Amino acid sequence: MNRRTIRKITNGLALCMSGLATAIGLFCLGAILWTLISRGVAGMSIALFTQNTPPPGGTGGILNAIYGSVVMTLIGILIGAPIGMLAGTYLAEYGRASRLSSVIRFVNDVLLSAPSIIVGLFIYELLVVRMGHFSALAGAVALAVIAIPVTVRTTEDMLNLVPQGMKDASTAMGAYPWRTITSIIYPAARSGIVTGLLLAVARISGETAPLLFTVLNNQFWSTNLRAPMANLPVVIFQFALSPYKNWQQLAWSGALLVTLAILILSITARVVVSALNPAGGKQR
Amino acid sequence: MTTSREDLGKDSMNDSGNEVVQERKTVDALSASDDPGRRHIGEGGLNLKPSGRMPALTSLEQRSGGDQTVGQFSVEDAVFSCRDVNVFYGSKHALKNVNIDVARKQVLAMIGPSGCGKSTFLRCLNRMNDTIPGARVTGSIKLDGSDIQAKGQDVVQLRARVGMVFQKPNPFPKSIYDNVAYGPRIHGITRSRADLDDIVCTSLQRAGLWDEVKDRLNRPGTGLSGGQQQRLCIARAIAIQPEVILMDEPCSALDPIATARVEDLIEVLRESYAIVIVTHSMQQAARVSQRTAYFHMGELIEVGETDRVFTNPRHRLTEDYITGRFG
Repeated sequence: MNRRTIRKITNGLALCMSGLATAIGLFCLGAILWTLISRGVAGMSIALFTQNTPPPGGTGGILNAIYGSVVMTLIGILIGAPIGMLAGTYLAEYGRASRLSSVIRFVNDVLLSAPSIIVGLFIYELLVVRMGHFSALAGAVALAVIAIPVTVRTTEDMLNLVPQGMKDASTAMGAYPWRTITSIIYPAARSGIVTGLLLAVARISGETAPLLFTVLNNQFWSTNLRAPMANLPVVIFQFALSPYKNWQQLAWSGALLVTLAILILSITARVVVSALNPAGGKQR
Repeated sequence: MTTSREDLGKDSMNDSGNEVVQERKTVDALSASDDPGRRHIGEGGLNLKPSGRMPALTSLEQRSGGDQTVGQFSVEDAVFSCRDVNVFYGSKHALKNVNIDVARKQVLAMIGPSGCGKSTFLRCLNRMNDTIPGARVTGSIKLDGSDIQAKGQDVVQLRARVGMVFQKPNPFPKSIYDNVAYGPRIHGITRSRADLDDIVCTSLQRAGLWDEVKDRLNRPGTGLSGGQQQRLCIARAIAIQPEVILMDEPCSALDPIATARVEDLIEVLRESYAIVIVTHSMQQAARVSQRTAYFHMGELIEVGETDRVFTNPRHRLTEDYITGRFG
């Protein structure tokens, strides 16, 4: 067998393997989506969006859980995003080469991959134990802690994509770093940062483990941030494990809803990128 | 571009007759075979055959006196006065004991092979080396008599007085208007919109860009052609009325026509500003500058009147470089 044949076979083999791997990944994704849709659509009704979680056997929806999830995700991102963005800005601009930066970057990476249940336990110790009860506020803080490392990472990556020449131009004009960051670098990296924020929202809106330890759940409508509040992930968790048919159906519908919401957020993120980059994504 | 090729040629002949003469002299001295009437744009000027010898290192060893720069490094009306300037990037000694003055209303060209320290030196003059981690600058660099390295020196004020144009055109992702207005805005030069309009208009006119962009000031600066972008960057630099303009290979990313326009612009700007230009094109150095400095491996080898350096280089390394034997 000559060299050329060996190369051809190797190439064909590699192509097959990677194609197979892609197929397996896509199949899993498709299977999950299909199961969710086929099981969840049956429960899609007006009542799902207008009524609170019912007792076993009764009729109802998941309005309180939707409300709780939206509120806690919003508060979580409002707390987490500014901290994450400023920290990312420090890493990319002020402290680019400092020793502190590499330490922060390492710790952030650890936080990024830490199991979210650890975050739940941490907030449980920090807030729930001290307040003496579960609360929506604690849940929001837990979500913020999860959003921070994601935002730090995306912000730093996006700021690093801004050409150094552009930053130098502003510096050479006599601009203070903060001026360069706000007037030149942020606008140039805008679409990337917005995408990062949307992806952080998508990430935290599906988190279950940290909420179990912090907000728990609530069968009723509640807007009190200092009390337990219903939320989609925990409702799905609870209802799916229950023996009651109506609860199981609501769990399927809720899961479908969360998945669709995350899907829409991701698509929005992509649309935002192309809309905010009038030069046709020249920065990439 | 709205100006045609013929217009360009005519302009440059009219504006800079003496420049052409000077260039002719230079080229004649170096290469008798060249047509003296031709205007040389880009790299096509010198037709010199390398002798095949690589004299760099032996010549350096033969130099007498170690750090002595050949030629007249000081001038009477100096805007910048640099003595014993050394630059270290970490442990790398990038610039060694450089002594040189920059004269008012003159163009100083800095030539030399890649990595010889000319850009490093340029970046000392507006302290852009501060932005490089691990960079250290020693020695005295005086702008109008006061040391810009001093502790109390406000870097922002310094950079307002010493503008810079980069190798790659780097307009901000803003409108053409906002690009030029950026400097006046951050330095709070004016508060009224009318004054700002005026500054933007004058700067663009002086940069020779006004006629091309006056109808689309609100369009993004990144949408212009390369040559237009570079003139936009020059307009942006002169909008804050600096005393000195530093240019780091401003034409290396431009085509010959755009290069000619920028060179004509340098000729005009020289009436108001001191200009220091780093260039890899010796023809360009000969065309635009009054004084030329030759750098080699972090040392300033020779400096003097451009005519003199090109027609009668005193140092062996300078001669080897400008005759194309190496570099």
